[in-house]
Amino acid sequence: MTLYKHEMKQNSKGFLIWTLCVGLTCLGCILLYSSLENSVKDMADSFSNMGSVSTALGMDKMSLATLRGYYATEIAMMHNLLGAMFAAILGTGLLSKEEAGHTSEFLYTLPIRREWVVFQKYLAFLSNILLFNLICAGMYLLGFLYMGEEINGKEMALFHFATSLMQIEIGTVCFLVSAFVKRNLTGAGLGISIMLFAADMMCRILPAIENLKYVTPFYYSNAADIFTEGRLNGAMLAIGAGITIVSFLIALFRYRSKDLTP
Amino acid sequence: MENKEPAIEIKNLTKKYGKHRGVINLSLKVERGDIFGFLGPNGAGKSTTIRSLLGLIAFWEGRASILGMDVKSRQKDILKEVGYMPSEAMFYPSMKAGDIIRFAADIRGLDCKKEASMLCERLGVDLHKRIDELSLGNRKKISIVCAMQHKPKLFIFDEPTSGLDPLMQAEFFKLILEYNKQGAACFLSSHVLSEIKTYCRHAAIIREGQLICTDTVENLTKTNAKRIHMIKDGKEENFVYKGDLDKLFAGFFGHHIEDITIEEPQLDEIFMHYYEEGQK
Repeated sequence: MTLYKHEMKQNSKGFLIWTLCVGLTCLGCILLYSSLENSVKDMADSFSNMGSVSTALGMDKMSLATLRGYYATEIAMMHNLLGAMFAAILGTGLLSKEEAGHTSEFLYTLPIRREWVVFQKYLAFLSNILLFNLICAGMYLLGFLYMGEEINGKEMALFHFATSLMQIEIGTVCFLVSAFVKRNLTGAGLGISIMLFAADMMCRILPAIENLKYVTPFYYSNAADIFTEGRLNGAMLAIGAGITIVSFLIALFRYRSKDLTP
Repeated sequence: MENKEPAIEIKNLTKKYGKHRGVINLSLKVERGDIFGFLGPNGAGKSTTIRSLLGLIAFWEGRASILGMDVKSRQKDILKEVGYMPSEAMFYPSMKAGDIIRFAADIRGLDCKKEASMLCERLGVDLHKRIDELSLGNRKKISIVCAMQHKPKLFIFDEPTSGLDPLMQAEFFKLILEYNKQGAACFLSSHVLSEIKTYCRHAAIIREGQLICTDTVENLTKTNAKRIHMIKDGKEENFVYKGDLDKLFAGFFGHHIEDITIEEPQLDEIFMHYYEEGQK
């Protein structure tokens, strides 16, 4: 597992920056709730009656008047989007960075099978995503404890499980892109995650494009849905898992026979 | 029983990049224990050949084997026995030289500390410097250590001396000769002809993706090509001539030859001659 350790080390700086930035920003927003509480409570009713905007943000289901509702509609959305962006950045660089950084001739002339390289790199990606979510979730729980708010462990666990899968799905799609190109397409990765986030918002508002919910993984990781229903949408998760596995297999198959340039 | 399969054997290798040629129908053999020079200008197909051998790029026509192992089906086994040094020595910029050398040994699953330490000492590698602080020459030294520390049976070097100072070049070839004495073969791609003439026993010349000739360096320099230096009709002429000397002299009829010297050409002149001939 030398390459796995190497990948983890190579990604450590980016991982720390993203984890601390996202974790501390969201934690800060949780801690800010006490000072916003009164004014937010006053506005909660109007927020829940803003029609399509309320629907898009999940405020028709959860009220901003409670920390739980504030977390599900605001903090979780921020965590989802930033987490997806982090996953996209990791995914797009995973394979292509060797050619972009001209290190492919060094790495791939060492006695290690390409499939094993892909596997270890992907494992490092999964570890980064899971650690990112564990640390962030830990920070949010500390925030809840500090605020003296009761925590529904099941809701939190389900949401963080779903958001981890969503990030893995987006990262794997970007990983697939990475297997086809010779340079880092970070911009494209960020574009994919933002577009899927926007698709989730829009398909909740416009019935005509409702079927986009099968495409965007933000749909099944929506905290307002998870908190109100108390369960995950199994069908959507299965589609997400399918897209993830197929993307990984295509990336693996493509990378096995790819001509690597120095 | 010792394996007597050639160090490298390529048969009718063809690699194309879309419509562009890489190498065409290339065949050559490098025996075990040999030091083999692979000559050709930029874009001739030297690196394509090497990358095909190492599995970096796929080829669909022909076949190739290293140490008796098929390059397509036994790539990992081959890479265990090969020390490769690319022309551009590029590593992970944030890592230190020592970490890169250890990383290469760890991937091989070998403890190469003793050999690596000897190589670093002889080449003057600063193990504590970060890669992004090193010049091309210093990165090349790390590349040499990575290629040699596991004492491979075959070395493949692609333009190894570019960026190295003359002292380091001499030390590099000294190391090759030492490993060669212990039985290692060496396949050296270069366009520095003096290196090939001094250190190689056999050589092949490649032009526009095709092998022009392969022979011992001694035989290559003993072709019927001659360097002609003469003063004809008051004008000085200096060229390499390959072919029937009678025809050359017949062409002098009617001209006034004041002076003529005919001598064996240098390897670089033969090399250039092959190219000029190919371009006609």
